[in-house]
Amino acid sequence: MDSGLSRQLVTRLLLVAPVIFGVVTLTFLVARVFAPDPVALYIPAQADEELRQKIRAELGFDKSIPEQYGVFLADLAQGDLGESTITGRPVTSDLWDRLPATVELALVSLTFAVVIGVPLGVLAGARRDSPLDFSVRGITLIGMALPSFWLGLVLILIFFVILGWLPGPVGRLPLGATAPEKVTGLYTLDSLIRGDLALWWESVRHLVLPGLTLGVVIVAPITRVARASMVEVMRSEYIRTPKALGIRKQVIYFRYALKNALLPIVTMIGTIVGFVFTGAVLVEAVFNWPGMGKYGLDAILKSDFTALQGFVVVASVTYIVAFFLVDVIYMLIDPRTR
Amino acid sequence: MIDMTADRATEGGSLEVIGPGRSRWGKIRYVFGQSKSLTAGTILVGIFILIAFLARFITTHDPSAVLVGPPLSGVSADHWFGTDKVGSDVFSKTIAATALDLRITASAVVSALVVGVALGTIAGYYAGMVDLILLRLLEILQSIPTLLLAMMVVVAIGPGEFNVVVVMAFIGMPYYARLVRAEILTKRTWEFAEAARMVGGSPIRVAFRHLLPNSLSPVLAYASVNAAWVVLVTAALGFLGIGIEPGTAEWGSMIARGQTEIITGEWWVSVFPGLFVLILTTGFYLLGDGARDVMDPRSRK
Repeated sequence: MDSGLSRQLVTRLLLVAPVIFGVVTLTFLVARVFAPDPVALYIPAQADEELRQKIRAELGFDKSIPEQYGVFLADLAQGDLGESTITGRPVTSDLWDRLPATVELALVSLTFAVVIGVPLGVLAGARRDSPLDFSVRGITLIGMALPSFWLGLVLILIFFVILGWLPGPVGRLPLGATAPEKVTGLYTLDSLIRGDLALWWESVRHLVLPGLTLGVVIVAPITRVARASMVEVMRSEYIRTPKALGIRKQVIYFRYALKNALLPIVTMIGTIVGFVFTGAVLVEAVFNWPGMGKYGLDAILKSDFTALQGFVVVASVTYIVAFFLVDVIYMLIDPRTR
Repeated sequence: MIDMTADRATEGGSLEVIGPGRSRWGKIRYVFGQSKSLTAGTILVGIFILIAFLARFITTHDPSAVLVGPPLSGVSADHWFGTDKVGSDVFSKTIAATALDLRITASAVVSALVVGVALGTIAGYYAGMVDLILLRLLEILQSIPTLLLAMMVVVAIGPGEFNVVVVMAFIGMPYYARLVRAEILTKRTWEFAEAARMVGGSPIRVAFRHLLPNSLSPVLAYASVNAAWVVLVTAALGFLGIGIEPGTAEWGSMIARGQTEIITGEWWVSVFPGLFVLILTTGFYLLGDGARDVMDPRSRK
C-alpha cells in the first residue's frame, strides 16, 4: 500500500472517531436524561425512600449526570455496555448471543437483494425506457413503499395460513426443537456441521419468509441505484465507443459499464448493511426471530434503557463502520478517488 | 424542455420561465405532461387528502365505537373491510386514521423543511466555523439509524401525536439542511448573488431572498420522499406500539392489532390499513420521482 493511500485512511479514521463519540453521547443523553427513573423498574411504587436510594446507589444512578456519563464512557472504552435490568446479564453478552440470528437473516436477505437487484438494475438502466425498465421502475417504487412488517404478515397469510407451504412466525426452528450445537451460531451451517439434515431443512424453511421480507425491502433501493448509476454511465463516451465498434451488448453492459457504475451500488449496499439493524427490528418482531432487533424492541417495550442504549450504540457504530468501509473500498477500487 | 439555466438567473419560481406565452393553466398542463409519475402521484396523494377532509361523510360507522357488528366478521355489504375482534368497523377506522396520518405527515414535513432550510442556508452562506460545527452535528444525527432514533426518542419523551411530529421533524431536518447548504455553497459566488451584494443587499437578505429561492428545487423533490418516510415510520412506531397513544385509530397500530388474526385467517383486520399505507407512500414516492424528472432536465430523454 502506498503512503498516500494509508495517509488518507488515517484521515478518514480521524473523521470517524468524533462522529462515534457524538453518537454515543447523544444516545446516553436520550437514554439517561429523558428516560424515566430506572429504579422504578426494580421496586414497587410504595417502597420507602431509603430502599430507593440504596438501589440507586448500587446502580450508580445517585451520581450527577456528568459523573454517570464519565462512568458510562469509561465502561464503554472497556467494551462494557452495562447490565440489562430485565435479563440481569451484561448487555454485551446478551447482544453477542443474539448476533448470529440477525447475521443469518441479514446474509440471506442481502444475498437475495444483490443477486436479484444488481443485474435487474443494470439491464433496466442499459435499456432505458424499454418495457423492462418501465416494469422495474414500477415494481421497485412499490417495493420502497411497502411497510416491511405488513409485507411479513401478508407473506405469512399466503404461505403459511393459505398454502401451508412454510412455517408460521415461530422463530428460527419449530417449537420444541433443540438448536444445533453452537459452532458459528448460524443454524443452517451448524446443523450441516452436525450432519443433521432434517434440522437443516427446518432451519432453511424457517428462514425463507423473514429473509424474503427483509430482502424485498432492501432489493428495491439497490435496484434503483444500480439503474440510475447505469443510466449515467451509458451516456459516457467510453460506452459510446465500444458500441460503435460493434462489441456485444452483454460485454458492454457487464464488463465496461458495470465496472464504472459500481461505486454508487457499493455505497447503497454499505448503507443497507447499516440499515439491517433497523429493518431487523420490524422483521424480527413479526417473525418472533430471536435476533438483536427483537432484543432492542423488547428493551424498549420493557423500559430497559441500559439494554436499549447498548443496542443503539452497537447499531449506530455498525452503521458508521459500514460507511467507513465503503469509503475504503472506494479508494481501493477507484483510483480516481485517491 | 424547461430552460433551467434561465431559471437560475431569475428570482421567481420556475413557472415563470416555462413556455412563455402560455396561460397559467397551460403551464400547469405542460408541467404535468412532462412526467406521468408526477400526475399519478398528485392524483394518489390528492385522493388521500380528500379522504382525510371528507372522512366524516365517508365513514359508515362510528370509528371509535365497539360492537357495531359481530366481532371478526368478514368483508360484507355492511362492513366493507370487515370488523375487528371488538366489533369495530375496520373501514371506518381506516378512513378516520387517514386524517391523523396525513396531519402528522404534513406537520412533520413542514417543520423539518422550515428548520432544515433555515439552518442549511445559514451554514451554506456563512461557511467557515458555523458550517463546520453544524455539519458535524447533523452528521452525528444522521449516523444513528433513523427508526432506532425515532423509537428511542419517542419512548423517552412519551407517546402522542405532537411528540411523534416533533421526532419525525427532528430526524428529517438534517437532510434538508445538507441539501440546501450544498446548493447555497455552490451558488453564493454566482453572478446573481454577487450582483445582489453589490447593490447593497445585507448577508441575510442575499441568503434568504436571492440564494434560497434559487436552491429550493431539490428540497421540494425531497420533501415528497420525506413524506413517504414519515408515513412509513409513523406506521412502524404504531405497529411496535410506541407511537400514538394506544387505542387511537392509526394504521400501524391497526395492523398490529390484527397480527394474531392473520394466523387464524381473519386477514382483513391488518391487510386493509396496510394497503392504505402502501398506496399513500407509493403516491408520495411517485410525486418525488415526478418532481425530480421535471426539475432536472438531465434525467429526461
